[in-house]
Amino acid sequence: MIAVEFAKQWRRPRTLLTFAALAVFTIALTISLDASGAGRIERVGDIPLLVVPDRSGFSVPVIALSSTMKFFLPLAVSIFAGESVAGEAGWGSLRYALAGPVSRTRYLFSKLVVALGFSVAAVVFVPVTALAVGTIAFGWHPFTAIDGSSSSALHTAVVTFGAGAALGRLAVGTAYVMGGMTSIFAFALLLSTLTTRPFAAVAGGVGLTIVSRVLNGDYLPGVSVLNPYMPNNDVDLWQHFFQQPAQTAGMVHFLLLQIVYVAVFLTIAWWWFMRKDILT
Amino acid sequence: MAASAPPVLIEGLVKRLGQGVTAVDGLDLVVEQGQVLGLAGPNGAGKSVTLKVMMGLVRPTAGRVELFGEPVHPGAKVLARVGALVDGPGFVPHLSGLQNLELAERMIHRRNGRSDLEGAIAIAGLGGAIERQYKTYSHGMRYRLGLAQAMLGAPDLLLLDEPTTGLDPAHILEVREAIGAAARAGTTIMLSSHEMAEVQEICTHAAVMEGGRLIANGPVEELIANAGAQSLAEAYLSFVR
Repeated sequence: MIAVEFAKQWRRPRTLLTFAALAVFTIALTISLDASGAGRIERVGDIPLLVVPDRSGFSVPVIALSSTMKFFLPLAVSIFAGESVAGEAGWGSLRYALAGPVSRTRYLFSKLVVALGFSVAAVVFVPVTALAVGTIAFGWHPFTAIDGSSSSALHTAVVTFGAGAALGRLAVGTAYVMGGMTSIFAFALLLSTLTTRPFAAVAGGVGLTIVSRVLNGDYLPGVSVLNPYMPNNDVDLWQHFFQQPAQTAGMVHFLLLQIVYVAVFLTIAWWWFMRKDILT
Repeated sequence: MAASAPPVLIEGLVKRLGQGVTAVDGLDLVVEQGQVLGLAGPNGAGKSVTLKVMMGLVRPTAGRVELFGEPVHPGAKVLARVGALVDGPGFVPHLSGLQNLELAERMIHRRNGRSDLEGAIAIAGLGGAIERQYKTYSHGMRYRLGLAQAMLGAPDLLLLDEPTTGLDPAHILEVREAIGAAARAGTTIMLSSHEMAEVQEICTHAAVMEGGRLIANGPVEELIANAGAQSLAEAYLSFVR
């Protein structure tokens, strides 16, 4: 059943368009970094991590991941999860998919596996493309970052990673970002079982990302007590992998939080989908 | 499963949809092996919801629905013996008609192992267009592909909702011929229609629903005779008024 669901999805114009947009973004990013002049320093993300783009190809995936994780990647993940069940309802094919001796649990699980596969592919696609393009543009060199949070006027904390170490940290950082997308994924999948309009489910996933970002102490100091419980904010913390030593305490908390959100959203999605009357 | 169990047994079926809407309100209906039953009635009479309960898509609020002696629920094994085209066709728009049928066959084949892709392609009658993307199809082509999918698994019970709506006259004849062939092969068929002339022509039995209940039911000839009418259309008007 997973193979059937995969066959329905992978040739979708929307799937191809999502990956094409991510590729265009990383290539455009590399060109703009290349054009921004030798030695210019880029600030990466909320954690003041500073990199000099033209010294190593590794700077491109670090900047690309940092700039896509707040909107592009949540959007891509919301598209794959939000379209999964609601897309079939919109096509009118859900009733035929479920009219046989088909376990709804298995059907939902197949949808989840395929949508998750595309979501992981999208998250991995960004640093892989960026590293390939970055290496062509700037070469395969050790990666040097300036840890702005440890630096002062008198002292610049510079961290250098060999190419192998940088690759390893990029891989772990990417896995962390994917882990940080799972609450958005599960929420969009839940909405996908509730609505027959795929657009509403996709918008809901993006909406949760935005709500999570807006209900943030940085913007609204009064709600800072909520910060540790927001589903998407601390995805930024992956940049700590490029500090020395890597500070992982917040990351563990955030990944545990993802597990809680995913468990709640998926349980509701399954509970509802088992009881749902398929009227469209 | 009792050997003599009728293909369709519905007792006291009630379905409330919320907001005070009762789509089906105490329906009793038995369809015997080999019957071609025309389900008639105005829009909103509960025909389509009844068919969806029989497909395992909608849970009844109350009542009993059995197909071939087995209770129906979402995912019930007996649904492998049912083919359906309800509320119009629904396919993956960016795949071709053939790719859609192949995906459907992969699902059906695992269920009953007697699907007939070649036969279904013939029923669809799309010629070379079967290789084109579904979203390029006309209304009539989509309908025929839906009918082909319904018949793909060589079902023992065929549920068809308005099977000839929107088709041009030549294709109406083809679809009626396909339905007739399935009936001659022993398939029990339940089809809803607004076309009383069509029901009279292709159905052995007719049932008329109104307000979620059955208001008339029996062999077509008998219904016409009992109403003192010349045709089923005339008899229908006397039932529904």
